[in-house]
Amino acid sequence: MTDSQYLDVKLKLRDTETVVLTPGYLSGGILNSLESLFGEIGGRTSLDIVKFSAAERRLILRVPQEFVERARIAVTLIGHYQEVPCHFQVLKTSKKQLDFDDVGL
Amino acid sequence: MVRIKNRYIAVQIVPYAPKKTLGLKDHILAKCILQNVEKHYGVYGLGVVEQGFRVKYCNERTKIAVIRCVHRGQRFVSSMLPLITLIGDVRAKFRTLYIGATIIQCNKFIIKHQKQFLDRFMGQVESAKERQDLFKRVMELDMDR
Repeated sequence: MTDSQYLDVKLKLRDTETVVLTPGYLSGGILNSLESLFGEIGGRTSLDIVKFSAAERRLILRVPQEFVERARIAVTLIGHYQEVPCHFQVLKTSKKQLDFDDVGL
Repeated sequence: MVRIKNRYIAVQIVPYAPKKTLGLKDHILAKCILQNVEKHYGVYGLGVVEQGFRVKYCNERTKIAVIRCVHRGQRFVSSMLPLITLIGDVRAKFRTLYIGATIIQCNKFIIKHQKQFLDRFMGQVESAKERQDLFKRVMELDMDR
């Protein structure tokens, strides 16, 4: 897959007790953010969660090359997850498949 | 000095049910277009289009309007116009007639377009007074907004 890029993303929550972390909820949140920022036409893309770790609160996203910029903007601008203030930190981006033990941040 | 480039889009409003006048004001038209830009291109699209956006001319009788937008926001507006089906509370659609860089070119096109319209419909009007009225109504171009 040369035409897609991988993003290693870490979710930082203010209150970790009350939230339920699932890949479905996370991708829903990212897609919602994409739609509100870039609309129905501009925000449509295929977004896959390749790897997910609830304990580390980290995920690896796969997005098409032409949507990397938009996906990164949308991920960065998310301010709430299940009504808990939060932010996403993009640790690394790569054209090759990423793994959790690559970056020790 | 940096010049701001604008684009002027001449559109015709085609109502679903034939009407003599549409009862559409400039601000209703502007609001409808901006709402649709936000729906289809999101907050980012609205931000690009909003600056410099203006409905310069709107003729209720001839159903022709001229929209001004900045050069880089032109594609957002022109690609979204065919998707609109409801303007205010009137069921209608847009027909893009012309896109120009100056309002003078747009004006020239509208005059040419209206003359073609007059050529077609003058023959159907019988009395001279009605003909004069029709001419006056169709060629009404007041663009000092």
